[in-house]
Amino acid sequence: MSEASKDQYYVPHLAKWPIVGSIGLTVTFLGAIQALNSETSITPWFMFLGIGIILFMMFGWFGEVIKESEEKLYNTQVDTSFRMGMIWFIFSEVMFFGAFFGALFYARTFSVPWLGGEGIGLTTNEALWSGYEGVWPTNGPGDLNGRFEIIDPYHLPLVNTLLLLASSVTITIAHHALRANNRKQTIIWLIATVVLGAIFIFFQAEEYVLAYREFNLKLSSGIYGSTFFMLTGFHGMHVTLGAIMISVITIRVIRGHFRPESHFGFEAVAWYWHFVDVVWLGLFIFVYIL
Amino acid sequence: MKYFIIVIFLFIVFSLGSAMFYLVKGKGQSQNTVRFLTVRVAISVLLFLFIIFAAYMGWIEPKQPPFLAPN
Repeated sequence: MSEASKDQYYVPHLAKWPIVGSIGLTVTFLGAIQALNSETSITPWFMFLGIGIILFMMFGWFGEVIKESEEKLYNTQVDTSFRMGMIWFIFSEVMFFGAFFGALFYARTFSVPWLGGEGIGLTTNEALWSGYEGVWPTNGPGDLNGRFEIIDPYHLPLVNTLLLLASSVTITIAHHALRANNRKQTIIWLIATVVLGAIFIFFQAEEYVLAYREFNLKLSSGIYGSTFFMLTGFHGMHVTLGAIMISVITIRVIRGHFRPESHFGFEAVAWYWHFVDVVWLGLFIFVYIL
Repeated sequence: MKYFIIVIFLFIVFSLGSAMFYLVKGKGQSQNTVRFLTVRVAISVLLFLFIIFAAYMGWIEPKQPPFLAPN
């Protein structure tokens, strides 16, 4: 690498982190496979070990990037590649949730009515599932896992929507405060955002306990149970990840990182939080209400 | 009513997408990212209030599995 090209692009250290991440992922999935297939071992300790390695990798790798950024080693070219990285990351996220929302729409709009005898499904219904109405919410014509009740959207989900919306308002205030170089306000509102996110996760866990214990609504409750828990569960994981990211950003603001004119790390995390909130709004509307 | 809620939701997604566009293009100098994010939060809060109001007025029917619905 010549001196001239070094000026255009910062060439990083000989990174050990990608291989650490690969080992972490392999161990995680081996552990998950072991946990799913084993009849003797209930605790997926191998999977937890893998998750531990991934967390170690993230902590180490991101820490190095933050350090290099603060040492002003990055130029505009690196800034562009961070922004490109963000857009590809979000693209994969949109595709991910698109697939699960798509599954929900397809089941509700097409397959369930077909099984109930609508349109081209008339003979299917009469020959195979006679008497099945095909009305949403349903666990399918096989009545998988038996009768269930659904979560009342105007109790816990309503509170959770309010909490997550409030957290988006607080992070927006923090965002404006950072741009105005008001660091104290930024820190206060960021902490408020993390607290609201944590309460959301707590209530989500409460809702799952309620669904399993009181309503007999489980992951195994046919198409409704599958789509409900896949969508809300993965969303919950994203809220958890977002809350961790905001915690890191808060520590960075406390340490004096970011400037009003240059704060991509902050802005990307703030955007991610808004994204997670919009996904929840979609869930609230399409899973709980409509 | 259903379609009205969906249209507003799509507008929220559009605001979020616009914020992303300026996040990638803006190089941190422009106010557009934070502006679009503020718009999207404001509309989301309004939509949330509208949903509560619509449910209160009975414009949105609560759903139940058919085997639990009163005959």
